[in-house]
Amino acid sequence: MNAQLVLEDVAVQFGGVKAVRGISTAIGVGEFVGLIGPNGAGKTTLIKIVTGLVRPDRGRIFLEGQDVTGLGTPDRVRRGLALSHQIVRPFREMTALENVALAAGMALTANPWRALFHIRRREQYERAALILAKVGLAGTERKLAGNLPLGQLKRLELARALAVEPRIVFLDEPLAGLNHAEAAKQAETISEINASGVTVVLVEHNLEEVMRICRRLIVLNDGAILVDAEPGEAIANPAVQDAYVGGGAMSHAEA
Amino acid sequence: MTSYTVSLICAVGINVILAVSLNLITGLCGQISLGHAAFFGCGAYAAALVMVATSSMPLALMAGMLAASALGIAVGFASLRVRKGFLAVTTIGVNFLFVGIVRKQEWLGGEMGVSGIPPTGLGHLGDMTLIVVIALATVLFSLYVTRSWMGFAFKAVGEDEQAATTVGIGPAGYKLAAFGLGTALAGVAGALYTFFTQFISVDSFDFTLSVMLLAMVVIGGIGSTWGAVAAAAGLTLLPEAIRFVNDYRLLVFGTVLILVIRLAPGGIAELARGAFARGRTS
Amino acid sequence: MYYVELALTGVTFGCMYAMMSVGLTLVYGLLRILHVAHAAVFALGAYLTVLIANSAGSVAVGFLAAIALTPLFGMAIYRVLYEPLLKYHRDVPMIASLGLLVLMQDGFRILFGEQGVTFRDSSLSFTTYQVLGLTVTAPQIAVVAAAAATFVGLHLFTTRTRIGVGWRATVSRPQIAASFGVDPIKVRYLNFAIGSGLAAVAGGLVALMNNLVDPATVTVVTYKAIAIIVLGGLGSVRGTLVASLVLGVVEAYGTVFAGAWLDRDAIAFLVLIVLLLIRPEGFTGARPA
Repeated sequence: MNAQLVLEDVAVQFGGVKAVRGISTAIGVGEFVGLIGPNGAGKTTLIKIVTGLVRPDRGRIFLEGQDVTGLGTPDRVRRGLALSHQIVRPFREMTALENVALAAGMALTANPWRALFHIRRREQYERAALILAKVGLAGTERKLAGNLPLGQLKRLELARALAVEPRIVFLDEPLAGLNHAEAAKQAETISEINASGVTVVLVEHNLEEVMRICRRLIVLNDGAILVDAEPGEAIANPAVQDAYVGGGAMSHAEA
Repeated sequence: MTSYTVSLICAVGINVILAVSLNLITGLCGQISLGHAAFFGCGAYAAALVMVATSSMPLALMAGMLAASALGIAVGFASLRVRKGFLAVTTIGVNFLFVGIVRKQEWLGGEMGVSGIPPTGLGHLGDMTLIVVIALATVLFSLYVTRSWMGFAFKAVGEDEQAATTVGIGPAGYKLAAFGLGTALAGVAGALYTFFTQFISVDSFDFTLSVMLLAMVVIGGIGSTWGAVAAAAGLTLLPEAIRFVNDYRLLVFGTVLILVIRLAPGGIAELARGAFARGRTS
Repeated sequence: MYYVELALTGVTFGCMYAMMSVGLTLVYGLLRILHVAHAAVFALGAYLTVLIANSAGSVAVGFLAAIALTPLFGMAIYRVLYEPLLKYHRDVPMIASLGLLVLMQDGFRILFGEQGVTFRDSSLSFTTYQVLGLTVTAPQIAVVAAAAATFVGLHLFTTRTRIGVGWRATVSRPQIAASFGVDPIKVRYLNFAIGSGLAAVAGGLVALMNNLVDPATVTVVTYKAIAIIVLGGLGSVRGTLVASLVLGVVEAYGTVFAGAWLDRDAIAFLVLIVLLLIRPEGFTGARPA
């Protein structure tokens, strides 16, 4: 188990639908993986299983050698994992700075009693301000998250994920809903994060950016891995082209 | 100071403790509790029994606090088990169950309640001072919790549990903490109540009181300690200040609650904030 | 015989609970609001039945008038209180509802007095019949008959008439109203109207059974509706019927066995809490959020 993340035969079904069928794979430190596939392929479900938001029916998940299958999300986050949601979930009643600072203060909130005896937030606010600047949100610190536009909320999700100082992040469609320029900028930021040593697993439909920044593509279809290869190779694979109906969605991504 | 004024201050003090403690659970941590009167009553009964047995005020206070928070933590566990949408109904159930069971227990006085509770020995002014001091301590504690990282986490859990987990916060521990602390304070209020009235009966701890306490929190502004204080004080004093209001107490309560919810859902706190607009855009 | 009588009492109460609770479950199913003020609607129906019967000299007229007027009140509650608050978090309309309930409870006390109101001509309340060796009162028969008529009627309405089918579909799946060609707003009003009307019938029957409507009678019976609709599965009319009948019977027998340590009216909540702890996701496929 040298890889940072190992999935062993992970599967789940909802009602009669097999959302994820026995998936096994491994992701190494520093990798930049794109997780793609048509709608309903199971991408988000898989991410939710890995991050602890959904309990699998069978299979195991190993994070840095440790079996985390039975652990909840907070415990996994404390072990170096972070995630951003497909549909943004900011704390709307808090400011952008507070959103990120709360994440930065993860060590203090691990335990309610520890949390009770700590008041100072200065350090976390400072770190949060730096992170907000890094994702291009400088200036929004004191704005209520509930008032920010989608583009900024997407970046706030990213900022919050970064604030827990993860070693591996799972980003669920961080570019969805962004216009061309915003998406490119966000993709750039994500590349920088990866360049600094953080493993990135990216679920995305925006194939233009995915092809550009990811170094490995895992293609899911109907709950199982169809292809797992380097981007150019994966896209050229006829099975993958078939999976995306008519191949139309792929054409603009071919280099 | 007339004995009327003394009772009034005692009543305000106790309601402040109740409203502020409910605000910890429902306002800060977002766990709707429509059964707060049950914890108040639990504390009151425990303290009453201890006073009758030992006449020891400190013991009675402790008993009230512990009994109420034991019940509170049990309800806290239930809140973890039951799906979020059912929490309101569960807490309503707790209130009715509490009243329904206590009413039938002869050893608790049944329908007649517990009377002839020995005085604390502090005298009326002494009791009043005790209540005021504890009310003040409660307010300070609530302000402290709000400023602390516990308060920070409470806010996250109250707004979005799943998002809270993604920043490393385990909602279960915090919900239990909220219930434990909030109900412990309600239990203390219960003990103080027995000192001041020297007689308790189960009908004082019914669902209607829970609704009024929630109304105080809402009118004050959910999550705001000072709002809860203002609402508790205001709604306790209003019936006294205006005779008319006293006869139609619930009518006025209900009306004010509806008006606030419809016109100023953020309560007094929001109105006050709006008056002193800070650097936040809203 | 005694146990048969208990069962009869249980069924009678169950029928009454059912008619009273249907309105609550309908509103919850459609809007996800815990319409606690429904208790006040029920009370209004009861008061109106008695007062109008007294002034018109006929119990039947009292009932009819209550059935005609109470739905208007129910619909007004939706329009004035809930509609503007739908955009907020789910608990907000409930809190408004609580405010209204408290307001009206006190209002009834102020308007009609602590002593309550009674039928001037109380003969109907005491008319009894001998059926199979049991003594049943006219009101008891009326309650069971009314409940039977109500639920059969609702069933026919929601399966045989176009409006009914559309309404029922909308109540279970509010988002597909459009595809049924049903105006979702009309459905809401229909919901409140039917629920309130039924509550009025239940109220009138309670008035008949006890020959009294006072502030106390009202509160005791109506909070149980909250427990009942959760037990029956939020939004499910059939579930509510079943839960009501079961609760009525459980209470009747329960008081005999547990009455020493638990007040009759708390039985409903005891059952509710125990069952919710066992099955936290609710019953019969209910989805609270």
